[in-house]
Amino acid sequence: MVADLFYYFIYPGFLFTAVVGGLIAGVDRKITARVQFRKGPPVLQPFYDFFKLLLVKETILPAKGSKITFLLAPVFAVFGASASAVLIMLPLLGIDAGFRGDVIVVFYLLTIPSLSYIIGALASGNPLAAIGGSREMKLIVSYEFTFILIIAGIILKAESSTSLYRIIEVQQTGNAFIGTASGVLLFIAAMFCIQAKLGLVPFDMGEAETEIGGGAFIEYSGSAYALIKLTKYMLFFTLPALIILFFMGGVQLTGIHILWSALKLIAVILLITLIRNTNPRLKTGQAMRFFLIWMNLFVIVAIVLSYLGY
Amino acid sequence: MDEAGYIILLPIVVGVILFIFPDKVKIVKGLITLIISLLTSFFAIRLYQTESTIVDLSIFSGLIAKDSLLYESISGIGTYCQLNIDPLSQLITLGISFFAVIISIYSITNITKEKKLYHFFPFFLITLGCAIGAVLSDNLILFLIFWGILGFTLYKLIKGYDEESSAAAKKTLILIGASDSVMIIGIALIGMIADTYNMSELNISTSTGIGIMAFLTLLVGSFTKAGAFPFHTWIPDYTKKAPAPSSAYLPASLDKLLGIYLLARLCTDIFTLNQWLSLIILTLGVTTIIIAVLLALIQHDYKRLLGFHAVSQVGYMVVGFGLGTPLGIAAGLFHMLNHALYKSGLFLSAGSVYQQTGKSDLDELGGLSKSMPLTFIAALVFALSISGIPPLNGFASKWMIYQGIIDFGKQPGIANQLWIIWLALAVIGSALTLASFIKFITGIFMGRRNPELESVKEVNILMLIPKIILALICISFGAFATGYFVPEIFFPVVGKFEFVGVWQSSFISLLVVLSVILGLLIYLSGNIKNFRTADSFVGGEKWEEKAAFPVTGFYDTIRNAKVLKTIYDKAEKGWFDIYLLTKHLVLSSNKVLSKVHTGVLTDYAIWIFAGLSIMLIIYLSV
Repeated sequence: MVADLFYYFIYPGFLFTAVVGGLIAGVDRKITARVQFRKGPPVLQPFYDFFKLLLVKETILPAKGSKITFLLAPVFAVFGASASAVLIMLPLLGIDAGFRGDVIVVFYLLTIPSLSYIIGALASGNPLAAIGGSREMKLIVSYEFTFILIIAGIILKAESSTSLYRIIEVQQTGNAFIGTASGVLLFIAAMFCIQAKLGLVPFDMGEAETEIGGGAFIEYSGSAYALIKLTKYMLFFTLPALIILFFMGGVQLTGIHILWSALKLIAVILLITLIRNTNPRLKTGQAMRFFLIWMNLFVIVAIVLSYLGY
Repeated sequence: MDEAGYIILLPIVVGVILFIFPDKVKIVKGLITLIISLLTSFFAIRLYQTESTIVDLSIFSGLIAKDSLLYESISGIGTYCQLNIDPLSQLITLGISFFAVIISIYSITNITKEKKLYHFFPFFLITLGCAIGAVLSDNLILFLIFWGILGFTLYKLIKGYDEESSAAAKKTLILIGASDSVMIIGIALIGMIADTYNMSELNISTSTGIGIMAFLTLLVGSFTKAGAFPFHTWIPDYTKKAPAPSSAYLPASLDKLLGIYLLARLCTDIFTLNQWLSLIILTLGVTTIIIAVLLALIQHDYKRLLGFHAVSQVGYMVVGFGLGTPLGIAAGLFHMLNHALYKSGLFLSAGSVYQQTGKSDLDELGGLSKSMPLTFIAALVFALSISGIPPLNGFASKWMIYQGIIDFGKQPGIANQLWIIWLALAVIGSALTLASFIKFITGIFMGRRNPELESVKEVNILMLIPKIILALICISFGAFATGYFVPEIFFPVVGKFEFVGVWQSSFISLLVVLSVILGLLIYLSGNIKNFRTADSFVGGEKWEEKAAFPVTGFYDTIRNAKVLKTIYDKAEKGWFDIYLLTKHLVLSSNKVLSKVHTGVLTDYAIWIFAGLSIMLIIYLSV
């Protein structure tokens, strides 16, 4: 019990994910700046941002909204991110704890942050936040279908097991799933899904800074916004980790394998950053079509291929 | 075994007596109803603790003189009045009496405010007695009698005050009545095959044509009662027009319990299913989920929106039973209980909002979370439960259904090979449910408050208690799902089974609590005390006081998407409504037949003469 609480709060749950996630967010900003021929902020900038928001900045609450819901929503977002993080990281890092959850549980826990953003946005009573919230919800509806199909494909490849440990084990005794044709297709679709889950360009219509002034987050400031930032950093580590778990055979923390593990993470993050820096924002309808038609088609082809043994 | 008799007869007898009380003393009638419901619950708990047996109700024979004609004629009644007390019927009986108590507390003040709704409480009690009677009876004919009365009381619990509500009531009566008559055929077929009407003695294989026919006809009854596609269309109309307690009592809880009870009996006791029937049931299940939730997404009227969800959720239970594994059946039953909990809670919340505001359109509401905080919190718990957000109870049962589907996929068979389809559609149904409940919660409780609604107050304590109890049960069913409730409640019913995946409900619930504390600590460590409130920032524009983004526009992109638009348009014209389709068919065939009625006497004489000659020819040729 105490060990499980340690896993959840310190390592590899809340604190660990937040620190690594913050670093990843810093690297992401650095790369983005390089792509745009700028120098960019220091890598530790996300931490400065977080503590500035939490400790220094004043918090402005919406006069017309329901304030308690508005303030509690980010707390639940942090819960969703930490719970999914710990359930993904434990098998990924090979820690055999009594505390586990299967892939369906992880799937559902990962929707909690987005849902909390939406509820918080709508509780603020701001019409632009409502626009952002409704866009975010439509995006969720479109990518969830692709995402569950990807998970079904993974379950199929992992010999009908829903255990994350088993998924890694199957890949480490055989080949990583990305080594097959169906695995590549699933990987591509999964990359777009996590891009949408992270709310990054081209799927950032929910916040759309330049268009609806931050959309779902327009009313957030100070401490509450710090928690939202924290959730985003955590997801920036958790979701790439999930990709590594699903497709690249997880990580091993012995000898030369540490280097490989780090390279896997860097590769996934580089891919995310490059997609976000080389694409324009899609309209909601376009994004829905992209997932509901093209990505689903991709995944269905992949599932048929994996039935045939490719 | 006296409880079994009391629990059925007591509510019915008191219900009939209550008819003679005038409607002016509604509160007294409400209190009597509450007391009887409590007594019934007490008996239900006693009944839950007894061993499972078959009870022969030959109590009538003692009342009548031995050598009278009446005695001769009813001496065989014992075989027809056989009651079956087993874990399944005990569980459902307990559920029914629990919901009766919860809803009668709510009704005491709510119904007295409803005008023109006569005899609510008598029919409420008769419904209670008949529902329990239907669940406990082992004999199919006795079962059918109770089941038939339930269709009628359902009709009487909605008031016909305008054309639309009368039409809704009529539609309900016709659909339920038609399904009952289809069931009579099924029961007759069973009598033909098996030579007995007692469910406990039946075990019919579905390899013969007659067996399949009997199964399908009874399935129609179950689907109509529970509200599964394609016999679901009475539910949204009913819930839109009926008073909230009626919606919460019948379509949301009792009819689900009964319909799914019948489905459980059909799939586990009376018939053994073949794989094609599994395929049909699963297909109907996922179709129910998707069609109903897509229609719920575009509703403007929140009671109707809830009605569509009362349909959509049935799909999950049907999927659970279609799987046929112990895990699947337990998941279906668990989802049935959970659904009854949160859906009756949602209807009660909707009823509270309607009573306080008098508005049923989402566009006209908004910002009520400040005026009705407790109703808001309860409704939020129910909405998150129904959307399957961990760690609430809706997630626990949906998770079991998903596990059941994945496990089911390991077996060979046609339906098994398609497991990915069942899984994906069930999950996307849950995401769409979340989407439409975002609309529900936002439209009523969040956003900007309509200036007309400034004076809205919270409902009284009698209407709050039921919702709070239901919300607490939703939370605890979720928190202790896999560790306590599922083994305790469902292992006796379906037998012991292993979970396929891992969901540590209690520990994750504890983590939720700890995370909230952690979040609050982060807030307190920060600069939160230094806050101010300000009006919304809308890019520096000066917006009108009433300016808001209406929630009904949330999903217009989905409404107007290419393929979906045609489906929605067809659905709004009633293309998927079996009632309207039948109506059109009957009316158009009547039109043809009415051409014969020219009103000219000689024509009629010719018809009569022609008919006579045809009969004569047939008679002579045989």
